[in-house]
Amino acid sequence: MLAIDFVPDGGGITIVGRLDAAEAPRAQSFFDRVEGTVTLDCSRLEYISSAGLGVLLKTQKRLLASGGKIRLTGVNSHLQDILGYSGFDQIFEVERAR
Amino acid sequence: MTTSAAFKRSFDSISSIFALTADAFAREGIDTELLHAVDLALEELFTNMVKYSTTTDAAVLVEIAAIEGGVEVTLTDYDVEPFDVTKSADVDITLPIEQRRPGGLGLHLIRRLLDSIEYDYSQEKRCSRITFRKTQSGSPASGLLTNKGEENACD
Repeated sequence: MLAIDFVPDGGGITIVGRLDAAEAPRAQSFFDRVEGTVTLDCSRLEYISSAGLGVLLKTQKRLLASGGKIRLTGVNSHLQDILGYSGFDQIFEVERAR
Repeated sequence: MTTSAAFKRSFDSISSIFALTADAFAREGIDTELLHAVDLALEELFTNMVKYSTTTDAAVLVEIAAIEGGVEVTLTDYDVEPFDVTKSADVDITLPIEQRRPGGLGLHLIRRLLDSIEYDYSQEKRCSRITFRKTQSGSPASGLLTNKGEENACD
């Protein structure tokens, strides 16, 4: 299961659960509504596959074209590995989990 | 002991596949540090089968077995054309974002997460089989991609 929500008062976005190929279309629908520069709190993102990375890539491309971007925070070691192997650590500003 | 189940060719099966791996890891006492990589590899290989073999309704068989220091997983896909996952090109991760595409990233990732990946195909049975291994001490599979031809394919 996956839950994505805006944090009230411009606090960014939280994502909780597993972003796999089955959940990617619903995630894309959410991220298509995102504008500007936003922080995505990944501290409770348990899992991401290439389908989920595709959602983030498409969103980052769209936002960068209009001067915005997504920042990833709370990135755990599994997610950090995936971002590194895919080169996404060069595409996204990443803040590791403390 | 091997834990196995057959899964309908649908992305809706992914959560059931994850449930199978969690169950196998718990029952066999497999190191849960390996679970993330195994789930990722299973999802990427299974979704490839669903996306690229659209002329069959045959379920995909997944088998999970504990091995020394880790786990061996086999996916068997029936009534399909060959699709050798060990032959896919790596993604150029140095490209600027404007030139990046998500395609091919799944196989690129699992080569870096697994110890080994083997592919074999039976022309006679029209059956693909992919076997991968992940161990705690293993190194990335980039140099251990094997096409086994028809050796023991789908026996």
